[in-house]
Amino acid sequence: MSYNKKDEDDAGVVKVDRTSVFQEARVFNVSPVSPRKCRILLTKIALLLFTGEKFPTNEATSLFFGISKLFQNKDASLRQMVYLVIKELANTAEDVIMVTSSIMKDTAAVGSDVVYRANAIRALCRIIDASTVQAIERNIKTAIVDKTPSVSSAALVSSYHLLPIARDIVKRWQSETQEAASSSKSSSGFSLGFGGGGHHLAAANTNYMTQYHAIGLLYQMRSHDRMALVKMVQQYSAQGVVKSPAARVMLVRLAAKLAEDDPSLRKPMMKLLDGWLQDKSEMVNFEAAKAICDMPDLTDAEIGQAIHTLQLFLTSPRAVTKFAAIRILHQFASFKPDAVRPCNQDIESLISNTNRSIATFAITTLLKTGNESSVDRLMKQIASFMSEITDEFKVTIVEAIRTLCLKFPSKQAGMLTFLSGILRDEGGYEFKRSVVESIFDLIKFVPDAKQEALAHLCEFIEDCEFTKLAVRILHLLGTEGPQTSQPTKYIRYIYNRVVLENAIVRAAAVTALAKFGVGQKDPEVKRSVGVLLRRCLDDTDDEVRDRAALNLRLMKEDDETAIKFVRNDSMFSLPVLEDQLAHYVAGGNAEAFANAFDFANVPVVTREQSLAEDRTKKLTTATPTLKAPSVGPKKPDQNSAAEAANNITVATQRYSQQLQAIPELSTYGAVLKSSPVVELTESETEYVITAVKHLFKEHLVLQYDIKNTLTDYMLADVSVLCTATSPDDEEVPLEEEFLIPVPLLKNEDQGTVYVSFARPADQLIAASFTNVLKFSLKEIDPSTGEPEESGYEDEYQVEDLELSGSDYVLPAFAGSFDNIWNGLAEGDEAEETLQLSNAKDISNAVDLLVKALGMQPLEGTEIALSTSTHALKLYGKSVGGGKVAGMVRMAYSAKSGVTVKIVIRSEEDGLAALVVGGVA
Amino acid sequence: MDFFRRMYDWLLSVFWATEMDVTMLGLQNAGKTSLLRVLAGGEFTIDSIPTVGFNMKRVKKGHVTLKCWDLGGQPRFRSMWERYCRGVSAMLFVIDSADVEAFPVAKEELHLLLEKPTMEGIPLLVLANKSDLPEHKNVEEVNEALDLDSIQNREVSIYGISVKRETNLDEVMKWMIKHAPK
Repeated sequence: MSYNKKDEDDAGVVKVDRTSVFQEARVFNVSPVSPRKCRILLTKIALLLFTGEKFPTNEATSLFFGISKLFQNKDASLRQMVYLVIKELANTAEDVIMVTSSIMKDTAAVGSDVVYRANAIRALCRIIDASTVQAIERNIKTAIVDKTPSVSSAALVSSYHLLPIARDIVKRWQSETQEAASSSKSSSGFSLGFGGGGHHLAAANTNYMTQYHAIGLLYQMRSHDRMALVKMVQQYSAQGVVKSPAARVMLVRLAAKLAEDDPSLRKPMMKLLDGWLQDKSEMVNFEAAKAICDMPDLTDAEIGQAIHTLQLFLTSPRAVTKFAAIRILHQFASFKPDAVRPCNQDIESLISNTNRSIATFAITTLLKTGNESSVDRLMKQIASFMSEITDEFKVTIVEAIRTLCLKFPSKQAGMLTFLSGILRDEGGYEFKRSVVESIFDLIKFVPDAKQEALAHLCEFIEDCEFTKLAVRILHLLGTEGPQTSQPTKYIRYIYNRVVLENAIVRAAAVTALAKFGVGQKDPEVKRSVGVLLRRCLDDTDDEVRDRAALNLRLMKEDDETAIKFVRNDSMFSLPVLEDQLAHYVAGGNAEAFANAFDFANVPVVTREQSLAEDRTKKLTTATPTLKAPSVGPKKPDQNSAAEAANNITVATQRYSQQLQAIPELSTYGAVLKSSPVVELTESETEYVITAVKHLFKEHLVLQYDIKNTLTDYMLADVSVLCTATSPDDEEVPLEEEFLIPVPLLKNEDQGTVYVSFARPADQLIAASFTNVLKFSLKEIDPSTGEPEESGYEDEYQVEDLELSGSDYVLPAFAGSFDNIWNGLAEGDEAEETLQLSNAKDISNAVDLLVKALGMQPLEGTEIALSTSTHALKLYGKSVGGGKVAGMVRMAYSAKSGVTVKIVIRSEEDGLAALVVGGVA
Repeated sequence: MDFFRRMYDWLLSVFWATEMDVTMLGLQNAGKTSLLRVLAGGEFTIDSIPTVGFNMKRVKKGHVTLKCWDLGGQPRFRSMWERYCRGVSAMLFVIDSADVEAFPVAKEELHLLLEKPTMEGIPLLVLANKSDLPEHKNVEEVNEALDLDSIQNREVSIYGISVKRETNLDEVMKWMIKHAPK
């Protein structure tokens, strides 16, 4: 009943529309002001703004100035309302600075009512500009330490917003902010003055929100000073100092960030995080557990306590607690299944939970933690469970299994049985699609599963109600079928479709069929395909007939021509194509479309390469569809190896566009390979320099990106003095051609210096470059902001840049590593055994090596299953197109760390040694 | 007795109370904010901060409530004067009579504003402030400098005042009340 009533009310309010409100705005100009009428109108404006209506600038401006006529009214609630609306209009209206003085009056400690003071402060920070912040300094400072929590919070939040526009001034408020952070004012959350008058309602819940705001502000103020942050976190982490749980959550996040940024802080921060695991607020426990789980390179001892806390939550009576815990565990299980295993018993009891989100996470977690035997058992359990859940959850589970297949190719048989089993179950399109795609992946990436998987798919299309899926499967049969040992088996399945299905499927079937015929060596098979295709010429559908006719004609051609049409293995590099098309479309004016899109610029990749990209993408995006939100920005190189390989084509493409734009370099031709970005300085130095190596056919171009972080100086005529030396002190056959300097670098500006070398096209060279930054330093006159005329020359030595074997190698994908490895037995081989001093464990070593060698890990070997030994299989192609393969065996012992034996084989002479040399 | 007094005031306010809008303009540092503060019964202080935007104060005199809009005089606010002058009962233009160099700018800004069609017929009172300073110019000189004689179609008066010494302020008040809407 009450629900209905609410509905009616809503309908009444929703009728408010912009034009009529704007008309009514005349009421603001009436003298004397009628508080009641104005308040109603303001409420309507607020409603419009909060429901997404946008006033055009001119309307917003006149409303804004209309409202400014209401200032200093005696009615406190009208004042509150005025500030609320002003705050919202401030973004769209013009000349809002006009009301600064008037609002400032209401932010003063004396003579303004506490009811609207908080509102005034919040509105003030929206309209003020950087030059006037100084004028409000005193008011804000007193407000921060005000004894009323709502005022104090408003001042703190406002300072937070002012920080970006007036950093130096706001930073002066540190001591006040600290005072607010340590004082324990209990907040009523929101100032409750709407009904008018200045009476205060006693707060029912005390949440100490001011502390949260103060700590947030303190962090922003000190974000560039790590030592101050450490001090702050330690100071406030003491028991009972900070009463607000939200503020403690914030501290947890800060501690986690500090530990991540600076390895030396890891130990003390971990200790704090462990302490927070015992906190009396669940929220804080979760945050601490999550932060610990997100730490890189955890040891079992470090994680133990956090996992234990989460395990306790698994048995909590509240569903949300269980959900949060299982979600963190689920994510953590992806990379450290062993640590989660102790919780398995508790997790298993969650499978039967009535909340299906929890149950699904439980299952997928168990799939990750399980060993070989338990995976099979789980599969059985899931099979019974599948019928009870909705398609959405089924999809999540199928995705989990798909990742599992790629990770443990050896388990494919059982999973394939499972997948084909659920394929026969009832289910919607999305579900069926995810199952079919999982089987596709098995076919593509797990060669052992191919035959059987194809058989399952053949069976599925016999009785498939989804046209789209049938078409995709037929296409796959067409590409994969002819390469199998018994292609005739599939021809029967395909031809059945021609007889039984609708026109779309028939057309797809005809194309698939043709792939068996064209280029077929066996005359018997070729003849029978021909017969079948000829029958299709009588089809009722145009498309089917056309396809059949085309393919019959192609079968008569010689194989070479035909294969070019029917079994073309290469395709455009899709990310690049997408990028270029987007550029083309975004070109804007009509002239951009005068020329047709040029496909010549889009690199063509083979199917193998695109598969490689596909696979890395599937493994890195992993299973969870419901991902836990991460705290703060992720470190860019977290998924390092796999992602780097994935992005490399796109990055190369982007660089080549930049390089093409430089006239001196545009004649060099295509970039063969651009290296990842190498940092030559620490990120906190005066000049931050990164470098990228671009390899052309006959040239090497070094790109130095230089950033000037000094505020009072400009750099003029910036160049890099770059000297190449060879590792064995021989003469380096690299000849410096020219250098493109940066004429001027203002502060916070970034500029790029290019240095070009000529390199012999047929020789692969390793070299080391010493880099000295040369520039003339000009002081900026603080009064005018202009640089002084004269500067003085200065130099700045940065770290060396290495050109090694991996710069000549591009990652590539191949179906079978062993074939390639054995095929390269005749080629060049180089071997090296060494200890990796900077690797903590096997998986860390894998990441480092994949990055250092610049090749693609094959057969799922980028995931180390054992902590003591591992074999990493790598494959790539040199810039000249030759194959390069690597086999790395590694062993770990607590005493000596990670010892690796790297063997590289390459088609080209000398490359193998060069690649190995890059690691040593 | 007190009760009757209040009763009388209330009756007065019900039947004869009027509210009028007055804007105060002028270049920066002419003394607008100080003038308003003193008119409202406050103390004169020498170091007031520049007005960002505008201030609004109510001044009560007898049965008239004056809503005084004190607008900022810095160049970036001048374009917004017009917006606040629409439909007011009177305009006060305050000028620092000791700052000869600013006279041409003041003249230009004043005439620019008065040309606007929305400003038609609004009475103008020019106040030559800071008459306490030795180097100040007298009323005639200010009148000439601002070329007030050329202004047509509205009532224009000019008084010499000193906010600091509170000279002539009563006259200003009287002038304003005279122009209250009946």
